[in-house]
Amino acid sequence: MDIFVENLVQIWDDGGDGITALDGITHHFASAKLTCLLGPSGCGKSTLTQIVGGIEQATSGTIRIIDPANPATPARPGERSVMMWQNLNLFPWRNVIDNVAFGLEMAGVPRAQRYAHARDMIASVGLKHFEEKRCSQLSGGMRQRVALARALVMDQPILLMDEPFAALDAQTKIVMQEELTRIFERMRKTILFVTHAIDEAILLGDEVVVMTARPGRIKEVIKIDLPRPRSQELINTPEFGDLYDRILHLIREEVLNAMQQQNEAAAQ
Amino acid sequence: MSIKKRPKKSQDPLWLRLLPIASVVLFLAIWEAVVRLRGIAPIILPAPSAIADYLALMIADGSLPFHLGVTFLRIMAGFLVAGFFGILLGVLMGMSRIVSRLLDPWIAALYPLPKISLIPLLIIWLGTGEAYILTISAISAFFPVVISTYAGIRQADQGLLRAARDLGANERQVQLKVVIPAAVPSIFSGLHLGMGVTIILVVAAEMIGASSQSGMGYLLIRYGQVLETEKVFAALLVLAVFGGVIIKAQERIDRWIAPWAIGHR
Ligand SMILES: Nc1ncnc2c1ncn2[C@@H]1O[C@H](COP(=O)(O)OP(=O)(O)OP(=O)(O)O)[C@@H](O)[C@H]1O
Ligand SMILES: [Mg+2]
Repeated sequence: MDIFVENLVQIWDDGGDGITALDGITHHFASAKLTCLLGPSGCGKSTLTQIVGGIEQATSGTIRIIDPANPATPARPGERSVMMWQNLNLFPWRNVIDNVAFGLEMAGVPRAQRYAHARDMIASVGLKHFEEKRCSQLSGGMRQRVALARALVMDQPILLMDEPFAALDAQTKIVMQEELTRIFERMRKTILFVTHAIDEAILLGDEVVVMTARPGRIKEVIKIDLPRPRSQELINTPEFGDLYDRILHLIREEVLNAMQQQNEAAAQ
Repeated sequence: MSIKKRPKKSQDPLWLRLLPIASVVLFLAIWEAVVRLRGIAPIILPAPSAIADYLALMIADGSLPFHLGVTFLRIMAGFLVAGFFGILLGVLMGMSRIVSRLLDPWIAALYPLPKISLIPLLIIWLGTGEAYILTISAISAFFPVVISTYAGIRQADQGLLRAARDLGANERQVQLKVVIPAAVPSIFSGLHLGMGVTIILVVAAEMIGASSQSGMGYLLIRYGQVLETEKVFAALLVLAVFGGVIIKAQERIDRWIAPWAIGHR
């Protein structure tokens, strides 16, 4: 699924002049590629992902979602995508399997069928035998897997991931990154992956979109041509180091800008 | 990656676990000693041993079980009526702006009113029979239930609603499968408040004016009037234990229906 975003502007209503979260974003998120969105806090990464996912309505601009195999009929935002939320948004009253099967249940898939499907997905994220557990009984990393399975079971070609691993400890994060790489290499979905972490962006992405501090614009797009399959060992290669330095330089400027904005806002 | 464990009570040292029992035993011993040594008249303050004798007597002759049973049935009736209408209206208010606008002024006006002050009116309208007891207890318990239910529905986590919609839920499914379950912890706390109020109001109504001559409230008043202080204490003791048992049972039922909601309140 190719995603063409053109001149996207989002102005949030704050009772006054409004907050410009996105100021003219234009980008082509390529089909079957993993694109990382990187930028300082508050630059509009979540906003952009949610607009692409049809969860929020943009103030202006267009989004075209096109299946390269069938370019004549574009999809509506949200129609062919599913979101994995930063705070997961698992339903605490549902056990693991009923969380994973939620989307299928809403679509009216019969119980036996949706459970079979959910069970497969739970096994493929490594949670076999945890089907009947309540989400509150699971560790952070396991909950993350439930949220991933709940999104994957929808079998949508576009996966939107809003800082899914930000809250994880370093070890679990590495495991989840490898898991995602594996899934991506197997399923070849179009993935938008929001992150704060430069190493994560390079490790996972085919492309890293660096955004400016608010109002969010695209500062630079960096191609990551490291070969797949990738693993954590990549971090020690000179290519990785070069990319890291380049992105760090871009990001540092923007983070400083964002901090200055915050200071000015606080001074007023 | 491991399953979270709750710390168990049994990890406390033995003396710490026995402390509550020791505290009660010590209190009773001092009470007994004071009454005996100072020769306090049983009409003023009977000794625990005397209260225990009367308690056994009242259980044996069937009067306590009967009156307790009657009170229990009244509490359940009032509670169920209040719970049913409270949850129903709370859900309707949470889902429909029209209903909430219609009912808001009434709830705002009637909630702070001490329900016990309705007793004279209710007696005029309903007489002093079962209908009066049921009405006063149900009305009092209704308010905490409806308010908690309404609040629970309104305060449902928006993130969960958005996630459900993203997973393809339509608005009806969002209400049924997300908003209502999300309100369960809040509904439970409303039902707990409601139960407490029902117990109070049933016993109070039995004390004030009820013509049925039954129930724990009636017993307390009758024994009080004839200065059978031992029996008053015995009835109070039973009532206290009874209230505790009801609350514990309610917690058990909560845990059984919605184990995930524990600690969510
Ligand atoms: N629903 C909303 N209503 C009003 N303002 C909003 C809303 N959502 C986001 N904003 C504002 O828009 C700006 C961009 O927010 P957004 O959440 O997209 O940033 P972000 O890049 O995801 O930040 P973070 O890295 O902290 O998650 C922020 O200033 C935020 O306060
Ligand atoms: Mg965000």
